[in-house]
Amino acid sequence: MSTSFLHSFQSEWLKTRRSLAAWLVIIGGFFLPFIMLVGRTVYHEKTSAESTSPLFWENLAGQCWQFMALFLLPMGVILATSLITQIEFRNNAWKQVHTTPQHFYTLFWSKLMVIMVMVVQFFILFNIGIYLAGAVPALLLGTVDYPSQPFPFMYMLKTSGRFMLDILPVVGLQYLISLQFKNFFVPLGVGIAMLMLSLVMVEWKYGYIVPYTYSPYNFFELRGSAMSGSKDVNIHWLALSYFAFFTVLSFVLYISKKEKG
Amino acid sequence: MHTIEAIGLTHHFSKEIPVLENIEMRVREGSIYGFLGPNGAGKTTTLRLMLGLLRKQGGEISIFGKPFEKHRTELLSNIGSLIESPTVYGHLTATENLTVWQKAYRCPKNRIPEALRLVGLHGTGIKKAHQFSLGMKQRLGIAAALLHQPSLLVLDEPTNGLDPGGIIEIREMLRNLNREEGVTILISSHLLPEIEKLATDVGIIHRGKMLFQGSLASLLLRQHQASRIAIETSDNAAALQLLAGNGLDPRIEAGCINLAAAEKPAIADINRKLVQHGLDVYRIATVEDDLETIFMNLTNQ
Repeated sequence: MSTSFLHSFQSEWLKTRRSLAAWLVIIGGFFLPFIMLVGRTVYHEKTSAESTSPLFWENLAGQCWQFMALFLLPMGVILATSLITQIEFRNNAWKQVHTTPQHFYTLFWSKLMVIMVMVVQFFILFNIGIYLAGAVPALLLGTVDYPSQPFPFMYMLKTSGRFMLDILPVVGLQYLISLQFKNFFVPLGVGIAMLMLSLVMVEWKYGYIVPYTYSPYNFFELRGSAMSGSKDVNIHWLALSYFAFFTVLSFVLYISKKEKG
Repeated sequence: MHTIEAIGLTHHFSKEIPVLENIEMRVREGSIYGFLGPNGAGKTTTLRLMLGLLRKQGGEISIFGKPFEKHRTELLSNIGSLIESPTVYGHLTATENLTVWQKAYRCPKNRIPEALRLVGLHGTGIKKAHQFSLGMKQRLGIAAALLHQPSLLVLDEPTNGLDPGGIIEIREMLRNLNREEGVTILISSHLLPEIEKLATDVGIIHRGKMLFQGSLASLLLRQHQASRIAIETSDNAAALQLLAGNGLDPRIEAGCINLAAAEKPAIADINRKLVQHGLDVYRIATVEDDLETIFMNLTNQ
């Protein structure tokens, strides 16, 4: 990694400090696990019985991922990607950014890298949240035992890795649109429309052509009830391909912009 | 040597109306170049082209003797700029804002407090930039432009939003940077008095065309050459006839006779003739156009 990229990344990362996107990652990462934690604490009799299950963590993760995969993860990524990219438009900063001695490609990739790191950060927080949702009731309530099953790190890593792959097309397209349009509502509107479309198309046998469907498809696969739209295709490769396509297109459009601030 | 040299700069936003037409601009090394023009004259477009914020359509731009497009990042590392309104990340403090640029310019961290002190923002602490007044934001924008100690400063209307005290402070600061550190400054403004107090060289642009370019001294000479004599007598009509009969070109304007400027003996001779013809002379004065009038005359041509 060249030093210019590293400096550019540090500069971009600093811009996210106290930003709405940064808060979104933290709140979004802990939101569902917190609800699960509250639920498990309130209904502690049921919780106590679940703690002995040999698939305790898989079941808990499955419950958390259910809402996350279908709506919150794509929505969070739509918002975070758009918010981070729009920091420059919102602060009238493109003109200043583009008069710093940084190559356009360095700027493009460092900004994208910041988004990717934030997505990874979100997954880490979400997994920590799942762990806390499982472990904390035992610490708070004397009547609930600590889960007997050891925390399945590899399973959690693999699951998160797949969702990470499947959400990449959303990052790619949102990044592309956010770089092109000054108005925040354009990327947000397109993102919400695509998300709604994906929820409608997910049951269609060719639903895999919609790049926002892979996260729901992955969830159904995880649950063991793969949808017809994802049965005959490798959605992870498709997700990667869409991401590569959107990113290259986004880069070409960004580089060839006539007005840079 | 010229720090900036723009030749034949032409730009269109739409096919019909050119925003810039064949602009020639030469900014001498070590000068303070005042780029003057009314709003919408093409100043900002010219500056944006020079900094690569607009894709060049026609002409050549070289900075520090090198073509801008081929040496963009190398040249930008030595240029500080403030184009239109200042760039301020509202959710960050002044120090954090400058840290963003310190990383981008890869300059020493100790420049941040120095730059903040220079513009009088060193006491802002944890206050977020969105809470700053317009003047404070402007100062922060100037601090960002100065952060990496550039050899060339490109400032587009840098005193916008500053109070009179702030304007004087910034002017003094720019003058010191120019004198003590040899920084070349290209400063645009639509306010003539501001440029008059600071610039060594002046360029006047109007409707995308460069109307004047040269030293402030040559503009002042032009001002002197455009001066005239105003005469007030007991009978201006008779005086007008008399002076016209003596090969002069007098005109009556605002109750006075106006003549082209003349040497002292010629003025004494005019006075003598008027008195000899029984006319009382109440006033003879040399009237010089101020720079504003010259600017207005140039831009109204």
